[in-house]
This record gives sequence, structure tokens and C-alpha cells, in this order.
Amino acid sequence: MSDSPDQNVILLVDALPGFEACRRFVLLASSEIAPFVRLQGLDDPRPAFLALDPRTVLDGYRAVLTDVERQRLDAEADDSLLWLSLVKIDGERAWANLRAPVVVNPRRMIGLQRLEADDVYALDHPLHQD
Amino acid sequence: MLVFTRKRGEAIVIGDGIEIRVLRVGTDGVRLGVTAPAAIPVHRLEIYEAIRAANLSAAAARAPERLSDLAARLRRQRRADGEP
Repeated sequence: MSDSPDQNVILLVDALPGFEACRRFVLLASSEIAPFVRLQGLDDPRPAFLALDPRTVLDGYRAVLTDVERQRLDAEADDSLLWLSLVKIDGERAWANLRAPVVVNPRRMIGLQRLEADDVYALDHPLHQD
Repeated sequence: MLVFTRKRGEAIVIGDGIEIRVLRVGTDGVRLGVTAPAAIPVHRLEIYEAIRAANLSAAAARAPERLSDLAARLRRQRRADGEP
């Protein structure tokens, strides 16, 4: 790993389950789709995700990283981390994965997906109105 | 698959520094202790599988046409909730 990370490329220190071959992602934001952002994979099969901050979905969303996760992210006390819930879309319905968000340390541009056995939040929290 | 018979308190070692020890054997489960370097993630398989399935179904080749509607509604909702 380089000491001077590419400013636009997030390196996942652990791969996303299901996409083990893709470690590098670019984060694309545009006002048109805010609060969503796009996470575009750079390694084959180049998966693309929509994501959003879980705090946008649920007021009072609160999750605490474990010491191991903070170590993996090289997170220091004053690092402001980026939280991204991956979004599943089916027609006009959409769900956010609040249980296993991707957490990124922007200072280092490294990230990981939380895989804790924490069942407080749903893997498929609906964003649409029923 | 390698198969071992282990008694309570006994362990196996995998590679450098990964140790799995049988802590307790009960009628409905076995309690395992895993010692591994911080760089080696350890997860319960069913949780890993559930998140894997969620990731696979979330990977979308393209954003749907209605995404901007949904995005606009979430922005309105945030404003209504008093967020900046």
C-alpha cells in the first residue's frame, strides 16, 4: 500500500463479501441524487452500488466501531469517518443495509464493511413509502 | 475437509497465529475461542452469508430512473426533521 493514497480511490482493507476480487472503489457524488452517492468498483467485475449515510435514513442511528475496526481503518480520535449503507433497488422500492455499512477513513482513503453480529439494524431497511 | 476430534480445552492451529480452542461443549452447542491477528477477520458464517446476499442484491448496474424522486423525498424528509 502506498503512503500517498490516490485522492479519489477508496481501498477496502477487507473485501465486500460477494465481491472478493474488487478492492478499489471510486466515490461519485452529485447533487441530483444526493443524499445518495455512487460507489463504483474499479476491479473486475466492477460492481456498482448506490449508498447513503445511514444517519440520513434513521434519525439517531448509532453504531460504534470496535477497536479492531478502528485499527483496520487507522482511525484516530479526531478522524471524521464516512458511513455508507449500500442500497438495494427494485423498481420503485429501495432498501438500505443499515446493519453492515461500509465505513471509510477519508484521511487514508481506506474502508471496510462492518460484519458485526449486531442485529439492532436491518439488512434491508425500506426507504420507500408503502 | 480436515476433520479433528477435540476435547474441551484442546485446540487446533491454522497457519501463523490462528488458534481455535474448544472452550465448552454443551448439548445444544460448542463454544469456541478464536485467537487471530487483527488483520484476519473472523465472522460467524451465517452473518457473513447474509451480508454477502445483501451485497449481491445491492450491486446495481445502473441507477433506476426514479432514483431522483426518491432522493428528493429523502432530502425533504431530512429538512422536515430539522436537519441542515
